Amino acid sequence: MSTPQPVKRQKREEYRRKLQDQQAADGEVKMPQKKFFRQRAHANVFSDHHLEYPISPAHMDWSSHYPAFVDPDPTHQTLSGTRRLLKDVEVVDIGCGFGGLLVGLAPLLPETLIVGLEIRTSVLDYVRSRIHALRLRQQQLKQGIVAPIEETERPAEAPAPEDEVGTTNALVPGNYENISGIRANTMKFLPNFFARHQLSKIFICFPDPHFKVRKHKARIVSESLNAEYAYAVRPGGKLYSITDVEEYHHWILRHFTVQVGEDVSMGSSKFLWERVEGEELENDPCVKVMSSETEESKKVTRNNGNKYVAVFRRKEDPEWV
Amino acid sequence: MASLQHPFQCLQVAKRGSQGLPDVLIATAGRYLYAYNPTNGQRLDVWPQDVDSAESKASTAHVADDTAPPEKRRKLSSDSEGQEQKQTSNKKAPAWTAIPLTVTSSDGKYVVALTGEDKAIRVFELSMDSKFKELNSRVMPKRASALALTPDGQNIIIADKFGDVYSIPLIPGEYVKKVIEAKPTGPSATPLTVHTKGNLRTLELQKLHAERLANAPPQEDDRLNFEHHTIIGHVSVLTDLLTVSLAGRNYILTGDRDEHIRVSRGLPQAHVIENFCLGHPTLVTKLCIPSWAPHLLVSGDGAGNLFLWDWRQGQTLHRISIQETLQGEFMINGIWDISSDQANVILVGLEGSAQLLCYKLDEQGLQVQDTIQLSGNVLDLVGVNSSGSVFVSVDTLREAGSIDSWKPSSGALLESFQITVGADGIKLSATEDPVATNINVVGTSHLPADLNEKQKKDLNTSLYNLENLKKRAFD
Repeated sequence: MSTPQPVKRQKREEYRRKLQDQQAADGEVKMPQKKFFRQRAHANVFSDHHLEYPISPAHMDWSSHYPAFVDPDPTHQTLSGTRRLLKDVEVVDIGCGFGGLLVGLAPLLPETLIVGLEIRTSVLDYVRSRIHALRLRQQQLKQGIVAPIEETERPAEAPAPEDEVGTTNALVPGNYENISGIRANTMKFLPNFFARHQLSKIFICFPDPHFKVRKHKARIVSESLNAEYAYAVRPGGKLYSITDVEEYHHWILRHFTVQVGEDVSMGSSKFLWERVEGEELENDPCVKVMSSETEESKKVTRNNGNKYVAVFRRKEDPEWV
Repeated sequence: MASLQHPFQCLQVAKRGSQGLPDVLIATAGRYLYAYNPTNGQRLDVWPQDVDSAESKASTAHVADDTAPPEKRRKLSSDSEGQEQKQTSNKKAPAWTAIPLTVTSSDGKYVVALTGEDKAIRVFELSMDSKFKELNSRVMPKRASALALTPDGQNIIIADKFGDVYSIPLIPGEYVKKVIEAKPTGPSATPLTVHTKGNLRTLELQKLHAERLANAPPQEDDRLNFEHHTIIGHVSVLTDLLTVSLAGRNYILTGDRDEHIRVSRGLPQAHVIENFCLGHPTLVTKLCIPSWAPHLLVSGDGAGNLFLWDWRQGQTLHRISIQETLQGEFMINGIWDISSDQANVILVGLEGSAQLLCYKLDEQGLQVQDTIQLSGNVLDLVGVNSSGSVFVSVDTLREAGSIDSWKPSSGALLESFQITVGADGIKLSATEDPVATNINVVGTSHLPADLNEKQKKDLNTSLYNLENLKKRAFD
C-alpha cells in the first residue's frame, strides 16, 4: 500500500521485457496488453517535454518506421544522412492514442504511409509494440505458419477485448507495413515533420476536450492551428474530426467555418477550409473506420455516448492580394 | 559625483525627408521617450512631459528622480490596475519603468512605442517642431515582444510572449465592441462523456456553479476594447517579427522560442503560411531583412548561430557560428543592417557583451570583417547619416560583458563609430562625434542611489531576458 507506484512500474517493465523476448524468439506472437501501457489521459502541451523532433522534414528519419518502403538506393539520403523512403508520409492521426485508427486504416490505404502522433510516451510504446506484433504475425501468415490468437491473461468473464482490431488471422493488404507511430507535440512541432502540402489526410479523433474555459487554448483545434494544418495539407486534402462532446463539435465547426456577423476583414484560416457533407461524407470509408474502430469510439459506443463527425476539405490557396 | 543613469534601450531615426522636415533621433531610456536633433545632439522633446517637468523643477543638477520605478512595478503586480490608472492621471509617476520597443513609420511621421509594465501600445505623432503628440494608447492582453508596421503604414503588428500576433490600426476609427451573445453557461461535459465517480461528482459541482454564475450580474469586459485582429498564432513564445514587401507581395515573418521562423503572407492573408525557415538548433532571437537585399534574411539564435536564408523558399544559404570569431558562449540579441555610401554591412550584437561584430553580406554568404569593443554592453544602434556614421547605445549600469555586475558610476550613453572600406575589408573605427557628446552631456534620467539587490535584479531581467527563454529540458 505504501509503495504502489514502484510495484506497478516493476510489473510493467517485466511485462515489456517478456513481450520483447517473446517476439524476438520468433515464436508465437502475442499482442501487447493495454493495461501495462495506460497513462494519464492529459499532457501539458505547453511545457518543454524532452521531445525528439527533426530540425526540418528533410532531416526526418522515417526508415526505421517503414522498413518495407526504404529506397533501395543507399545514396538517396535525408539531410541527416539516413536512408530515404520511396514515398512521403501522407496521412496523420493527431493524438493516435492506442493506435486503433492506424490499424483500421492500414488495409484501407495499403500503399499510403500513415503515421500516428502521440504525446504520451507509454501509450506510444504500446502502439509501437502493437504494430511490431501485427507485422510479425503477417509475416508468419505469409510463410504459412498459422498462429492462432490466445488472450491467455484475460479473465474469461471480461468484456470483448479492446485489442480486437488487427488481431485477425487473415492476411491484410499492406501487411501493416504502412503504419507507424511517433512521439510528438503536434501543437508545437507539426512543421518539423511535414513539409508544405505533404499530407492528404489529417485525423483528429476524440481529442482531449479540455472542458474548462481557461484550458481551451490547449485544444488541438484552433484558428491558428488550423492555419498550420492548412499548410501541411495539400489543396483537396481532408481533415477528419470526431468527438463525443457536443460542445467541442460546435467548437470545431466554429473554428473551421466563418460565423454570421464575424469580422474576417483581416483574414482567417477559415477561408482555407470547406465542410464536406452529404453523400461524399457518407461514402467515405475513412469516416466509417474513424467512427467505429478507434478505442475511444468503442468506449463511446459502450457508454451509449454520441459521436459527432465533421470533415473539412482544404481549398486552394487564395490569389495574392 | 557617482551616479547612475538609465541607458538608451531603443534608438531610431525618424526619416522625414519625404515631408520636407529634418530627421529626428528617437531614443528611450528608463520610462522616457526622447527626441534629439541628429545633427547637433540638441534634445528636442521628452515624453511624458508632466513628470519630467516636475523632475527638472525638483532637481537642478540631476538629483535622483526615479525613486519609484522598481517598487512601482511590484506594486502594479499586486495592486489592482484601476488604482494604478488613477495615480497616472494624478500626474504622479507613470505606471511603467521602461519603454522596451519602438518603431517609426517609414515617413517619419509616427512613432509607436510599447510601455513596459502597463502593456500599452502608444502611437505618437511627431510634430513639425519634433515634439511628441500622443495620439492613442491601447492596452494589450499580454506584453508585446516585437512590434512592426505594415508596409503601407496603416497597421501595427504586435507579437507577444504567448505566441499571438495581433494587428491593430495605427489610427483607430470608431469601434463598437461587439456584444457577445449570452454564452452557454453550463459545463460542456455530460454524463455521457465523463464516467468515473470523481468526474461525475465534479460535473454536479460545475452545474451548481454555472447556475450561480447565470444568476450573477454580467461583468463589464473592457479588455481589448478597440479594433484588433488576431492574425497569427504560434504555440510558443514569439521573439521577433518582421514585415516586408517584395515583388509586390507583403509578408510577415515571425520567430519563436521553438526554433521556428514562419513566413506568412501579409494582411489580410496572414493565415496563409508560405513556408518555414527551419534550421536553428535553439531559440530564434532576432530576424533582419537587409534593406538592400530584401530577398535575404539574416537570423540569430540563442547559441550564437547566424543563418542566412532565401526566406521565400525556406532554404538555408549559409550558417556561421559567432564562436568561430569570439571565445565563449553567446546569445545574439541584435542584428542591424546598415547601408551607407561606404558599404552595406550587417552588425551583430550579443546579449551582455560590449563587442559588436561586422559582417559583409554577399552571394557567398556572411563574412566577418571586423569587431569593435565598446565601453559597455551594446543595447541598440542606429545609422544616423549616409556617410557610415553609427551611434551605439551602451549599457550605463552594468560592467562590460556582464548582465548583473553593476558599475559604480555611469559612463557614456552613446558611442559613435565610422564604417570605412579599406584594402583589407570593412573596418569599424571609434570616433568622437560631437552629436553623441552633446547627448551624453545632457544625459537621461537618474536612478536612485539606494537601489537594493532585488530592484537591481528586476532591472537586469527587464533589459536582458534571453537567458530566461532558454529551454530547460525535463520530462
